[in-house]
Amino acid sequence: MNMTRIRVVASKECREILRDRLFFTLAFVVPASLMLLFGYGISLDVENIPFAALDYDNSSMSRDYLHRFIDSRYFDYKGSVRTERDLDPMLAHSDIRFAIIIPPKFQENLMAGRPVAVQSIIDGTFPFRTSTSKGYVIAINAEFNGELLAGYISRHLGISQKQAAVMAQPVGFQLRYLYNQEIKSIWSIASAMMMLVLMICPPFLTALGVVREKENGSIYNIYASTVTRGEFLMGKLAPYVGISVINILILWFMATFVFGAPFKGDPFFFFIVSVIYITCTTGIGLLVSLIVYTQVAAMMLTTIVTLVPSVLYSGLLVPIASMDAESKFEAHLFPAMYYTEIALGSFLKGIGLEQLWGNALVLALYAGCLWTLSYFLFNKRPKS
Amino acid sequence: MKKKFAGTGRRLSLWWSRLAAMSIKELLQLRRDPLLLAAIIYLFTVDIFMAGGVKMQLNNAMVAVHDADHSMASRELIYRFRPPYFKLRGEILDAHEGIRLLDSGEAMLVLDIPSQFQRDLIQGKTADVQVQVDTSNSVLGFLASSYAGQIIGQYSFDRAIERMGLTKESMGKMPMLVDQHRVWYNPNQTDSWFMSISEMLTVITILSIMLPAAAAVREKERGTIEQLLVSPLTPMQILLPKVISMTMVILIGTAVSILLILEPVFHVPIKGSLSLFFMVTVLYTFTTAGLGLFIATVSRNLAQVAMLTILIMMPMIFLSGAWTPPEAMPAGLRQAMCLSPLYYYIEMSYGILLKGTRLNILWDSLLGLTSLGILVFGFGVWRFRRQFE
Repeated sequence: MNMTRIRVVASKECREILRDRLFFTLAFVVPASLMLLFGYGISLDVENIPFAALDYDNSSMSRDYLHRFIDSRYFDYKGSVRTERDLDPMLAHSDIRFAIIIPPKFQENLMAGRPVAVQSIIDGTFPFRTSTSKGYVIAINAEFNGELLAGYISRHLGISQKQAAVMAQPVGFQLRYLYNQEIKSIWSIASAMMMLVLMICPPFLTALGVVREKENGSIYNIYASTVTRGEFLMGKLAPYVGISVINILILWFMATFVFGAPFKGDPFFFFIVSVIYITCTTGIGLLVSLIVYTQVAAMMLTTIVTLVPSVLYSGLLVPIASMDAESKFEAHLFPAMYYTEIALGSFLKGIGLEQLWGNALVLALYAGCLWTLSYFLFNKRPKS
Repeated sequence: MKKKFAGTGRRLSLWWSRLAAMSIKELLQLRRDPLLLAAIIYLFTVDIFMAGGVKMQLNNAMVAVHDADHSMASRELIYRFRPPYFKLRGEILDAHEGIRLLDSGEAMLVLDIPSQFQRDLIQGKTADVQVQVDTSNSVLGFLASSYAGQIIGQYSFDRAIERMGLTKESMGKMPMLVDQHRVWYNPNQTDSWFMSISEMLTVITILSIMLPAAAAVREKERGTIEQLLVSPLTPMQILLPKVISMTMVILIGTAVSILLILEPVFHVPIKGSLSLFFMVTVLYTFTTAGLGLFIATVSRNLAQVAMLTILIMMPMIFLSGAWTPPEAMPAGLRQAMCLSPLYYYIEMSYGILLKGTRLNILWDSLLGLTSLGILVFGFGVWRFRRQFE
């Protein structure tokens, strides 16, 4: 290892990046704008579900019941229809995701002490939203049932409404949300976004680095020079790692100041782990760059190994714990998962090295493996 | 007159044969890059297969219990936390351990039952149960608390009925709402239907932007564009074949993933007309190819193409309703979505594939995509042609 030669290769690469103004600008603009867009755009909160109502009864009781949906912030009332047939096109066109049908004689039956079946139709296109919507409906119905039961008890046993309410609901239920008290997904998303953006951007920056020289033929200058493979790879990648380190800081500032995510952990630990993580993702780009022969193929392969796993197997949408064995296995193959845990832990839970050292170690090993593998794959004497 | 007509005919056939020759050239070029070809095949098969395996439902969320009562009543409540949603992790001795388990992610939910739970129940007081939920993943955090609420609510209801000495038969004589859910289009909320379709649309988007852009810039970067410029080809004849050949590749890929993955593996019920879906897909790939061509005119090398593609593609994928439906977007972005071709394409794809919707309902989305397509593709072509002048 000769430091001068590494420095020379690095400064050559730096100059090349700096001269490509558009690329240089994009290297910073892309991560920041992805962070902004995702932070504001991805909302996993299920609110404002558009719905329509079909009230066959039109009594004061049915209207009271219906207003529990209309007044709820989870639902967005789109109007009433006259027949069930009107609901079909509305659901098919996604104007509404949910419809509630109140049967005739709703009030009459309830007053007479008979059970009433209320139908709801839910659009199943987005399964996780369907489950959530169902949960809301069940909760509203349960509350209504509790009141009905209390009324029934007070009438039959001749006790006050208040006593009856206690009888109707013997078990109270207190819920505490930990880590993200308002369950506003923006906090958990902002911290997970650091993972996603740092997974996608560094490999794309790097992936074309070596293969571009291969495709253009300028790699022969390297083959013919005294630079060793290790020196070449180090020098080649140093500027990209540098750009990504700056991006870590920018993204961290955005997460905390723009999105207001609380940072409870140890900033120094988080920074070090983030640097390890980008060495990892840069290494992925490098590896891709060494395997392929054309830049187009490099772009495709990078998309495959970064984009998809970082969304699906990182714990961003689905926590690892609730995956089935097969997906869990796949999740453990990619570095994204380990970093997500560190990011969420550092931001929302305020835990540090003590609990997260295992994840950090895996990332470091991962980076080490990628770089060693790249070292052996890169050959100054190409097979002809 | 006849001679002139024959001349037009010859020119037309020449135009076509040039177009065909160039398209074949693009396909040949693709075939000679085995890694790129493998990547495309992978995206349309294995990738969609893997995405379909990801489940977004609450599944075996770990529950830790702090039972200070150890009574019949508390045990009965605890055992209602069962798979598929929950899984009992075991009992913990104090609240600190609960926090520790939540911190380390070993438990998602901690159920805390107070010491006089059963006594309170028997005496007719309200017995409070506390539940702590890890909501750092807000979707599942919400589902977990919602299900926990349902379980406890049902338990509470059952105790109330029992306390009043009512039986199942006498329940029929009580005023009560009975929930009747019907879930349309995906009755069992099978995640793989949604995930595999969503992933397929994502793959189509990625490829339809990236491939034409790359095919166009590659010629610039390698200098082969000079050869094309001195050839008798018009700019249209250079550009259209790139779009046509890549659209063909994408269509074949889409057919493969529907026939080999979506239908046989995940049993997605293809309710609507497949030919309509393919027509819409062609329209969509042409539109996004216009975006690709625009990228190609702005950039000088493939590194720039790669970065610009992410900049355009990622927001498009995430904000067009592939993951979250339009109504979940903030108001400002909901308007911006109308500018994304993917928004219309997703609406139509889910409509055709899952809901069996026909054109009479989807016409407005089709109109939106078509007008956007003409605009975007026209702009891309205009930029591309201007380079030659």
